Amino acid sequence: MADSTASVTWSGSLLEGGGTIERVGSGVFGGLPITWDARTGEEGGKTTPEELIAAAHASCYSMALSHGLAQGGNPPDRLETSATVSFVPGTGITKIALTVTGSVPGVDEDVFAAAAQDAVENCPVSKALAAVPEITLDARLT
Amino acid sequence: MPRIVREAEIDWEGTTARGSGVVRAASTGSFELQTTIAARIDVTAGKTSPEELLAAAHATCFVTSLGSELARAGTPPEHMHVHCTITMDEVEGKGHLIVASAISARVVAPGVDDAGLAKAAEDADAGCPFSALIRASATVTVDATLEGGT
Repeated sequence: MADSTASVTWSGSLLEGGGTIERVGSGVFGGLPITWDARTGEEGGKTTPEELIAAAHASCYSMALSHGLAQGGNPPDRLETSATVSFVPGTGITKIALTVTGSVPGVDEDVFAAAAQDAVENCPVSKALAAVPEITLDARLT
Repeated sequence: MPRIVREAEIDWEGTTARGSGVVRAASTGSFELQTTIAARIDVTAGKTSPEELLAAAHATCFVTSLGSELARAGTPPEHMHVHCTITMDEVEGKGHLIVASAISARVVAPGVDDAGLAKAAEDADAGCPFSALIRASATVTVDATLEGGT
C-alpha cells in the first residue's frame, strides 16, 4: 500500500480569493499558486486541478507503457506522453486525450499500438478516472 | 461556460523499473518535476508520483468547492487548509488500484457553526468534479473542522 499526500490553503472567496498548494509528501513541489480565474482560463501561469490530473495521468500512463514494453522484451529508449484534460464548469471533466510518441528498438507499429492500448486500460490512474466520459489515445513510433 | 482544456506532458527514458521521467505543466509552465517508479512506492525518494499529483488535484478541487458552498451559505471563508491522502493498493485479481482519497479540511469562516460546516463540506464533496469522478472507483471521505474565533 502506498499513501500520497498534498496540502492546500485558500483565503477569501472563490472569485476574489486565492490559494496555494503548500506541500506534498515527497516535498518536491509546493508554493504553487491557484485561483479560479486560472482554472477557467482567464489568468495564466498558475496550475489547476485539471492540469494536475493531466500530469498524473501522463505520468501513470508512461510508467504502465514502459512496463508493458519491457515485459514484451522491448524496453523503450524514450516515451513522450501528453495528456489533455477538458473541464466544463458545472458539468465536470468531460474528456482526457492521451498522445504518446515512442522510440522503441525492435518494435513495429502494431506491437506498439497494442502495448499502448493495454497501458491506457490498465494504468491505475485510468482505472481511477474510468468515470470520465471519453478517454482517447493517439500512439505512434518516432 | 466554455470548455476548458489543460495539458501536461512527460518524457520517460528507459524502462519503468530503472528509467525515470520528467513531468511538466504544459498549459501554464507552473511546474516541472522528476518522477520514478521507486518514488511511487517510497515517498522518501524525493520525487513525485501520479498518486501525489492526484492528491494535489483533489485538494485543489475540493478547496474551491468548499469555498463556494460556504459563500453560498452566507458564511464566506477567511482561510481554509485542505489535506488529501490518496491510497493505492494491490487488489487481488485487479492489480494496483487507487482505493481511497481522504480529505481533511480546517476552516476559518466567521458565522458558521459545526452543522453549517458539515453541510458545506458534504455539498462541496458532491459538487467537486474530482470527487465525482474518483468516487466511481475509490472511497472518498471528507472530514472538516472549524478553527479559530468563530
